[in-house]
Amino acid sequence: MRGRELLLRRLMPLLVLLVVATTAAPAAEIPAIAAAADLKFALSEIATQFKRETGRELRLSFGSSGNFTRQIEQGAPFEMFLSADENYIFRLAEQGRTVDRGRLYALGQVGLFVPHGSQLRVDAELADLRAALQEGRIKRFAIANPEHAPYGRAARALLESTGLWDSIEAHLVLGENAAQAMQFAASGASQGGIVPLALALAPEIARRGQFILLPAAWYARDPLRQRMVLLKSAGDSAAAFYAYLLQPAAREILARYGFVEPPESE
Amino acid sequence: MSLRLELQHNGPLLDFTAEIPAGQISALVGPSGSGKTSILRAIAGLLRLRRARISLADERWDDEGLHRPTRERSIGMVPQHHGLFPHLSVLGNVEAALTHLPAPSRRQRAMECVRLAHVSGMEDRLPSELSGGQRQRTAMARAIARAPKLLLLDEPFSAIDRSTRKHLYLELRRLHQQLGNTVLLVTHDLDEAAQLATHLLLLDQGRLLQAGATTEVLTRPRSVQAAQLLDIPNIFTGMLETSRSGRALLRWGPHSLRVAAGANASEGRIKFAVLPQNLLLVKTDRPWGSHLENPLPTVVRDMVTLGGEVLLWLQLQEVPEAQLQMRLPERAVRRYPVVPGSEVTVCIRAGDIVLLEH
Amino acid sequence: MMDWTAVILSLKLALATQLVLLPPAIFCARWLALTTFRGKAWIEGVLALPLVLPPTVIGYYLLVAMGGNSPLGRWFEALSGQTLAFSFTGLVVASALINIPFAVQPAQRAFEAISLEIHESAKCCGLTFWQTFRRIELPLAWPGILSAAVMTFAHTLGEFGVVLMVGGNIPGETQTVAISIYDRVQSFDFSTAGAMSLLLLGISLVTIAISYGMADRLMRRRRL
Repeated sequence: MRGRELLLRRLMPLLVLLVVATTAAPAAEIPAIAAAADLKFALSEIATQFKRETGRELRLSFGSSGNFTRQIEQGAPFEMFLSADENYIFRLAEQGRTVDRGRLYALGQVGLFVPHGSQLRVDAELADLRAALQEGRIKRFAIANPEHAPYGRAARALLESTGLWDSIEAHLVLGENAAQAMQFAASGASQGGIVPLALALAPEIARRGQFILLPAAWYARDPLRQRMVLLKSAGDSAAAFYAYLLQPAAREILARYGFVEPPESE
Repeated sequence: MSLRLELQHNGPLLDFTAEIPAGQISALVGPSGSGKTSILRAIAGLLRLRRARISLADERWDDEGLHRPTRERSIGMVPQHHGLFPHLSVLGNVEAALTHLPAPSRRQRAMECVRLAHVSGMEDRLPSELSGGQRQRTAMARAIARAPKLLLLDEPFSAIDRSTRKHLYLELRRLHQQLGNTVLLVTHDLDEAAQLATHLLLLDQGRLLQAGATTEVLTRPRSVQAAQLLDIPNIFTGMLETSRSGRALLRWGPHSLRVAAGANASEGRIKFAVLPQNLLLVKTDRPWGSHLENPLPTVVRDMVTLGGEVLLWLQLQEVPEAQLQMRLPERAVRRYPVVPGSEVTVCIRAGDIVLLEH
Repeated sequence: MMDWTAVILSLKLALATQLVLLPPAIFCARWLALTTFRGKAWIEGVLALPLVLPPTVIGYYLLVAMGGNSPLGRWFEALSGQTLAFSFTGLVVASALINIPFAVQPAQRAFEAISLEIHESAKCCGLTFWQTFRRIELPLAWPGILSAAVMTFAHTLGEFGVVLMVGGNIPGETQTVAISIYDRVQSFDFSTAGAMSLLLLGISLVTIAISYGMADRLMRRRRL
């Protein structure tokens, strides 16, 4: 038995022990929270504050609301879900996977983002976008995937209502969720995109281009009624966070990221 | 304590029944493809045949519905390419065969076998660090480790150079003298078989042609096939008759030869063979005597000196299709020079004319 | 900055996959190396599927097989209280399945390289099946097995598509380094993404260099 083989043979049991020891205690006590991608910056900030104040930790996952809904239907162990479209929440509630029908926590907003160096110019009527399409200055335009991302559906509603959809459809690059659409728009891979206000306001993104908010009426067909709900498996920490989100401290952060507080009646 | 075999198989074709005598070195000789390696592997239990009955003394190894695994057979095998375990040293290879012994006696026994096989001093070397001859010796040491009753050697010297081979032949004979077990050697080399074995089995296309003491088989083939296998060039056809006085006569063209025929030799056309070394040159200065049997007039057609021997091709007079091959030591030709084209008389002893059955 | 949770999770996943996959893969490789039978090519083909199938196809079928609505998923949930999909255990299962060809093929080649003469010599030496396996076959096939382990390790560290589909993106549970990098890029956190990419690159390079070096040394010793 030569030296190195001997060493390896001695190491193997130690490695086995290591793996067993570390896999034996999963991080299941810290609740997993699923949140729509547009909440990436806002919710992370709120969660940090939440931890500072209560000492409770959370594990945040960001992605498209449609994707999360499917995962939850397949048994993903999330304890709380913040969706960008309330219909997903209602669907889960009807399946009996939630504790109640949740609560509207904000109304989302979208706008046009144009990265520095793009040939597009921002304006509130999207006049330049219209012109750019006609002149062929648009090669690629980013939105989230309307199939399963609410922000994608809103973008589509917006483009259809302004009569731009037919000419822009061929140039669309679809992000898997609102954050990826944001990334496509901001990285210069496209000439621009329809993105969430909440993401465009984040400093690391804001400095990469220009953003202009677009009227909510333009996507009234698919409004971003962002609803949150506790799932059946929710524990204390998740419930505490749920309550925390409705309090002034959290509300203030949400407002800073452009989330409109829903009317009291709802 | 002999090894009894009854083997039948389809691919390769085998229909072989034989008895290998105990305590001797027997050689199984045949051309490539004759099935000799398959027979050896069947004896070792490594090849399952369609039908096989194999038993050593009173131990049944193979029979209807019975197959004793290789592990449980008292055998040692040296395969054609030594089959040494490349990751183990010489000593390690031999010890691998001794797992049934506790560690200290294992080492002792392994060292003993290494010594017997003449690879002492190489114990810690790996097979890759050994010469061809040393590898075969190591394989031998490993094969005898379990003191097997039967030692199987599958053309073990075919890949070894000639000078080393000579040493290995000697070592095998000495080893056999010391151990006294039964050895079955498979080879396509007749010379090797002649040097090593006391018992010879001739094999062709899966069938046993002839078996017996080596000298007997080599000098007295029983069939045309055996004679051809033994590379005997002088195979001729003649007519066997019984003379008025009751003696057997062989008519060969115009010549009549006296032969030593067995009681059951039938009259009529018969094939016969003469070994090249059994043709005797009649010296011109010696008078004709009655002790010279079966004189034949010939003409020398061709002459070739090869390795201390002279090969002569002689044309038998009045029998044009008969060309005799004769072998003489070089010194004989020096004393009585023979040139192509000259007429010489050769004679054959009656006992040297081998009658062949078909 | 570095997402150590994701790094540790990825390493745990890679090691767990090795433990779960290698022993059966070794035996399967040996069996395939030593037997021939009709339909063997089909079996080898099935085992090699993960090499040619797109990860998303594999991910889809795994979800169907392991998801909360599948018999397997429900049985696991009843047994452990946790879901199989979107859990670390589910990742280990998926990872073991997609790494089958990486584990079996190098080991199979190594077992095939052991000549028939050596096997037969072992039998003639009186060695039992297990003795032959432990003392003769394993030491000779060792470089191939090591190669299988390394390939599996490296491949698991880098696996993305299947992990994302089957595991989701749950930090501390199923968010491996590869997914974390993807996540960070989306957040424009390039410093973390870059740091983790560099770390992954370094780990992969070191692992492969060490094991190729070892295997080479072992092979040189064995060559006859």
